[in-house]
Amino acid sequence: MPKRAVLSLRARLLLVSGAILTLFAVNVATHLWGSLARSESLVAYRDAVTAAQLTDELVQSLENQRQQVLVLGTLRETTEEPLGEDEQRAAQETIDNISARLRRLGGLGSDGTADYYRRLHESATQLLEEWRQFYMHYNNREVEINVDSPRSYNDTQQRLNELDQRQAFLAVQRSNAIDDTIAITDRITVVGFVSTIAITIFLVTALIRSTNASLRRLKIGAQRFGSGRLNYRIDETMDAGEIRDLAVAFNEMSAKLHHAIEEVRAAKADADDANAAKSMFLANVSHELRTPLNAIIGYSEMLQDELGDPGEIDREQFDHDLSTIVFSGRQLLALINDILDLSKIETGKMQVAFERFAPAALIFQVCDSLSPLVNQNGNKLELSIADDIPEMRSDSSKLQQIVTNLFSNACKFTQEGTIFVTAWHEEEELFVEVKDTGIGMNEEQQARVFEAFVQAEASTGLEYGGTGLGLSIVREFCQMLGGDIELLSAPGEGSRFIVHLPLDPELDLEDA
Amino acid sequence: MTDTAHKLLLVEDNEVNREMLTRRLKRAGYEVVTAGDGAEALERMRDSAPALVLMDINLPIMDGCTAVAEARKEPALQTVPIIALTAHAMEADRAKAIDAGCNDYATKPIDFPDLLSKIAGFLS
Repeated sequence: MPKRAVLSLRARLLLVSGAILTLFAVNVATHLWGSLARSESLVAYRDAVTAAQLTDELVQSLENQRQQVLVLGTLRETTEEPLGEDEQRAAQETIDNISARLRRLGGLGSDGTADYYRRLHESATQLLEEWRQFYMHYNNREVEINVDSPRSYNDTQQRLNELDQRQAFLAVQRSNAIDDTIAITDRITVVGFVSTIAITIFLVTALIRSTNASLRRLKIGAQRFGSGRLNYRIDETMDAGEIRDLAVAFNEMSAKLHHAIEEVRAAKADADDANAAKSMFLANVSHELRTPLNAIIGYSEMLQDELGDPGEIDREQFDHDLSTIVFSGRQLLALINDILDLSKIETGKMQVAFERFAPAALIFQVCDSLSPLVNQNGNKLELSIADDIPEMRSDSSKLQQIVTNLFSNACKFTQEGTIFVTAWHEEEELFVEVKDTGIGMNEEQQARVFEAFVQAEASTGLEYGGTGLGLSIVREFCQMLGGDIELLSAPGEGSRFIVHLPLDPELDLEDA
Repeated sequence: MTDTAHKLLLVEDNEVNREMLTRRLKRAGYEVVTAGDGAEALERMRDSAPALVLMDINLPIMDGCTAVAEARKEPALQTVPIIALTAHAMEADRAKAIDAGCNDYATKPIDFPDLLSKIAGFLS
């Protein structure tokens, strides 16, 4: 996948808003520029109008004053009448007024009119000074005043004209420049406004598209997760920032969910297996209990029936039938005890009570107490217990049950043979071997014989008694005590069960 | 009780139960032949021509269901009534026995009067 320059949603929003704001600012600036040019144009126009007005007024005032001075000049020569103070003051005020207007006109000028104004100022100052002198010395006959000379007046009028023309020319120039500016800013404003709209639409569309694409990836991911495809992954590299974080979080959530679901599935499978095993166990228990019960109930009912028969009771037959009932009852009891043991083992409630005891004495005692079983099938017992077996730390009652089960099995499956019970110790382990010259087992039977409810043959239990639980319990006990059991056998050649248990399980644990 | 006693085949691997049932069936007036496993059961069905078979399901060598299925393949043995006897009490075990070709089913411990009425029902 090509490397893409990706932006976070925040960066995208900032970029787009920044661009739009910049465009907006450019538009506002252009507009302001245009407004400024317009107001400048207004000021220039006003200045030009004021200057023209002033010039007109000045021309008129100069003309009036000249007429007045000429008339007064003629009067002075022809009459003796002096000029009144009021008239003198009024004339001076008029001249001051003209002077002030000239200054105002100068104030409206610019660099381009400075020369013209200076020349106007020179000749106007001279003209006005001449007039002032005229009025000042009007009543003084000794002073010769020549006001007829039109030179300074004509100069002043001419320069005023020149200034006026110059000002008009500059005003036209300036207004042309300002008009150009206004036209440009108007154009920029229109173009800027239109392009701002276009760019804004483009940017917003791009923002919506890119964000939409990001959100769609998230949506597709969420939908896939929702439909159970928890190994689907949203492509995190397509985004940056918050959306990438969101994609990563989605992916992590999916991975965790996947993991959790797998765990739950595994747990459910385990629970189902355990449940199936429990059901099988119950079915087997039910089956095993029903077989001896069938005999007990059947024989009892039959004896009841026979009691109702006329004639003598066959006492021997009766005794035999009752023995069968008792045998089946005992078998049922043994079965119940074994089932309880096995149930305790399976639920982890079987306690192990470690204590110090002499295993040699215990093994001897078990074999001694079970000697009637040996004689039942015409067997012989060969007992060989080593003298040097030390005391051990283990559960004596469990060892007792192990030896009892193995010993009674050997007696059951051997006819007119020999049962060998041998015990010795090697290093830190006790070995007990129970060997018989009985029917033996093939490999398949050996493989299954330690499973609960299994006897080498289904018929074995009835021919030889036993519950099919004994060896299963023996192996569980051996393992609980830190040891194990091995079986060596072949059909017709008897069986050898070898139990090995640690003399002290704690030492054994430390070694391991 | 009929004039000529019906011959029943009892297939049961448990000696105690076999002896008990044989005695009780004989007391009820039936002639009884026995077999201890599935293979022997097939042989007895062929050579003794029983009127009805009581078939244990958990059997050595050949289990009851297999023996029944085998028997049902032979034209002479297709119609002989077979009642399954088993210590398995689950509904699935019953269905398994019926599917194999058994006509009825009785759970151990056997309710003997009920078994007798079932047998009588098939033989009438």
